Amino acid sequence: MKKLIALLLCVAMVGCMFTACGNGDASETTAPAANQTGGETQAPKDDKIVIMAPPVTGGYLENLKVWAKDFHEMYPHLTVEVIETSWGDHNGKLATMAQAGEAPDIAEISSATIGTFVEMGVAVDIKPYLSSERLADYDTNALNYMTVEGTVYGLPLYLTIQSIGANKDMLESVGADVEKIQTEGWTYEQFLDIIKAGTKDNVFGFVFANAGVTASDFINIFGSGAGLSNNFTEDLKYTFTSENLLTLLKAVEEMTQSGYMPNYGVEAGQRLVMCQTGNAMIFGKAMPLFEGNFLKNNAALEANDGSAVENSLKMDYAFLPVPTIGGCQESCYGTVDGLIAMRNNNTTEEHLKNVALFMDYICSGDRIASCMNELYLSPVCQSGRDALVLDESRDPANLACASRCIDMVKAPPAGVTAEMTANAKSLMDEVIVPKFQLLLAGEASAEEVYKSICDAAFDTFGEENCVSGKLA
Amino acid sequence: MNKTQDLRLKPRRKFFNDEDRWGYVFIAAAMIIFAVFTLYPVINAVYTSFFDYKPFGSEYVGLQNYVETLKYSKRNLFYKAAWNTLFYTVIVVPLSLLISFSVAVMILPFKKRTQSVFKAMYYLPGVASGVALSVVWLWIYDSSPDGLFNQLLALFHIPAQNWLSSTKTSMLSLIIMALLSSHGTSIITYIAALHGIDNSYFEAAELDGATFLQKIRLIVWPLVKPTTLFLLVTGVIGSFQVFMNAFMMTGGGPDNSTTMIGLLIYNNAFVYAKYGLACAQAILLAIVIAIVSLFQFKLMGVDVEY
Repeated sequence: MKKLIALLLCVAMVGCMFTACGNGDASETTAPAANQTGGETQAPKDDKIVIMAPPVTGGYLENLKVWAKDFHEMYPHLTVEVIETSWGDHNGKLATMAQAGEAPDIAEISSATIGTFVEMGVAVDIKPYLSSERLADYDTNALNYMTVEGTVYGLPLYLTIQSIGANKDMLESVGADVEKIQTEGWTYEQFLDIIKAGTKDNVFGFVFANAGVTASDFINIFGSGAGLSNNFTEDLKYTFTSENLLTLLKAVEEMTQSGYMPNYGVEAGQRLVMCQTGNAMIFGKAMPLFEGNFLKNNAALEANDGSAVENSLKMDYAFLPVPTIGGCQESCYGTVDGLIAMRNNNTTEEHLKNVALFMDYICSGDRIASCMNELYLSPVCQSGRDALVLDESRDPANLACASRCIDMVKAPPAGVTAEMTANAKSLMDEVIVPKFQLLLAGEASAEEVYKSICDAAFDTFGEENCVSGKLA
Repeated sequence: MNKTQDLRLKPRRKFFNDEDRWGYVFIAAAMIIFAVFTLYPVINAVYTSFFDYKPFGSEYVGLQNYVETLKYSKRNLFYKAAWNTLFYTVIVVPLSLLISFSVAVMILPFKKRTQSVFKAMYYLPGVASGVALSVVWLWIYDSSPDGLFNQLLALFHIPAQNWLSSTKTSMLSLIIMALLSSHGTSIITYIAALHGIDNSYFEAAELDGATFLQKIRLIVWPLVKPTTLFLLVTGVIGSFQVFMNAFMMTGGGPDNSTTMIGLLIYNNAFVYAKYGLACAQAILLAIVIAIVSLFQFKLMGVDVEY
C-alpha cells in the first residue's frame, strides 16, 4: 500500500511538472479571421491576440484591458490577452520569450531596441497587413523610428522628449528669463552663468541623475545640444568620433568640477526630490509629464494629507530646452516608443492581419489621445490629434516649449542597418557610458575619454566610416 | 564437476526482480526532474554554443562563439569580467569563511535557545529577496554627504566617498555588501560541525594546558576541515556565478570595473540577443568552475574523510 501511495505521489509530481511546462490551452491556437471556400463565406474563426506592455502611463494597463474589451465587442471573433509587466522586467521578459519563440503578438518597445529583434528574426513587417490609408494616419517622422532598412516593424505610440526642468520661481529669482529660454533656447555659457547664480549653501544650481546606467541620459540629452542627435550622419558615418563629442565632454568636465552640481553619483529618484525640496534649481533628465508630478505634490501640500514629498515646497515646474554647446543648432533628444508585431510559434498570415488591426486600434484615435494627455505629449497620428481634448490645467508655456522641442527631434537617417544600430548600441553600453562614468567621477580627463571612444569606434566601424572634425 | 553443474547448484538471481523495479520507479521521479531541469538545459547550452542562435532558424558557426569569447581585444570584456570575478572571489570567499567560522565559534558556548536566536538573526537576511537587499544597500551607499556610510566616515573625519560611481570604491562596495549580508548558511553549517567534535579532545587539551587559540588551531580547525572544504567549494561556485549584486547595484560600472562574468553572460543573452555567444561563455565558466573545484579537492581534500 505504501508503495502504491508513493508511486501515485511520484506520478502526480512528474505529471504536474509536464503540465506546467506545456503550452497552455491547445484549443487556443490561432486561426484565420475569415475563410472563403468555394464561393461560400464562412464565419470568421476565433483568434486570440496577445499583447505585452508595461505601465506606459499610470492608468495605461487598466485602459488597455478596457480597450481590449471594446475591441472584442467590435470583432467578437477576436479576443485579446494582456500580459502586464513592470518597466523593470519588461525588456528582459520580452527578450526571454522572443528567444524561446514564444514572443507575444504585440509588444511595447523603444525604437532603439527594434534592431535587436530584427536581428533575432522575430520582428514582423506590418506593411502588408495595414492599408496605406491607415499607415498615412501616422506622422512620417515617428514612423521612421519604427522602420529599419526600409521595413516598418511597428506603429508609434508617442514621441517622448527628454531634456531638463526647473523650479520656475528659483530660476526667475536668479534673473533668468524663463519665457525667453522656453521660446528661443539658450547657450551653454548662459546656462553655466545661471546655475552659478543658483548655487548657494546646500542648494545646487543643477543636478543630473548620473549614477550607473543613467549616465547615458546625460550623454544623449546634452549630446543633442552639441549636435550629437543621432549615431549616424545622413551619409551613414558614425558621429561620436566628431569634435562635437570632445566639446561636450569638456563642457561636462567643467560642470562637474564647477561645484554648481554634485560631484558624486546621483540616483534617478533623487534628482526630482532635490528639486522639490529646494536643494536644486535645475534638474535632469526631465520630461513634460513631470508637470503632473509637481501639480500633484502642490495639491498634496495644500491638502496637508501627508502624501506630499517629505520637506518639499510648493513650486511651479518649467520644462526647458537643452542649451546649445559649441555653437551648434538647437536640438532635442527624443525617442519613439511604440508597438511592434512579433513572430512566434503560432504566427499565421491571417493571424498577423488581426494583430495589425488591434495594434492600429490601440495606437490611434481616442485611445492614444487619452494616453498622451497623461504623458503631457502630443499624439503622433492625425486621428489622435483630432481626438485630443487638452487638460485645462496644463501650463501653456510648458506645452509650447515641449511642442517646439518635439519639432526639433530628428529620426535616424534612412539606410542605417540593424547591424549598425546593434554595433552603436554595444559601443554606447560597453565603451561610451563606462568611460563617461570615469569623467563624471573625475578619474579621467575629457581628452582621455574622447581618445578611448574614438579608438573603440574606429575598431568597430573603421576610421573611414567615422566622422572626423566638426559635424557639418 | 564441470562448470554447468556448478551453476545448477547456485540459486539463480533474477536480473530485474520486483524489488529492483520499485527502486527504479522511485528513482525515476528524481531522475526525470534532474534530466528535464538540469541535464537538458546543460546539453542544450552546449549545443546552442555552436550556433548563431535565432528562434526561427539558427546558423551553425562551429567554434566561432568560443573564438570570439577568447580572442583578445581592447573591446572584449570577457577577460576584464573574468579578472573582476576572480578578484571578487579571492577576497569574498576566504573572508566569508573566516567570518562565519569566527561567529560560529563565538555562538557555540551559549545555551541552545540563545544559539537558535543568533542562528535565526544571521540567517534572516538570506530569507529577504536579493532585489530588496540591493535597494537597502543602494541607500546605505548613497554618495551624498548624507549617505549612511558617508556619515559614518564623517565621524572619523574621512571625506565622503563616491561609493558606487568611482572605480576606486565600486568593487570594494560590492565586496563589503557580500561580506556583511550572507553568512547564515555557513554559520549554521559550521555550528553543526562544531557540535560533532567530541568533548574529550577539549578536556585532554585543557589538562595539557592548551590555550583557546591552540585549541582552535590544533583541534577545531582540523576537525571541521570537511565542512570548510564543502563551504569553500560551494562558495567559490556561487561567487563565480555572482550576478545580482553587480546587476542591481552598479550595472557593471563605472568603466566596467564591476562587470562580472554572470552579468556579461546575461547582457549577451538578453540585451544583445547573442544567445549562442552567451551559451559559449557559460560553458567556459562551467569548465573553469569545475577545474577550480577539482584543484580545491586535490589541495584540501587529501586528509578529509567523509
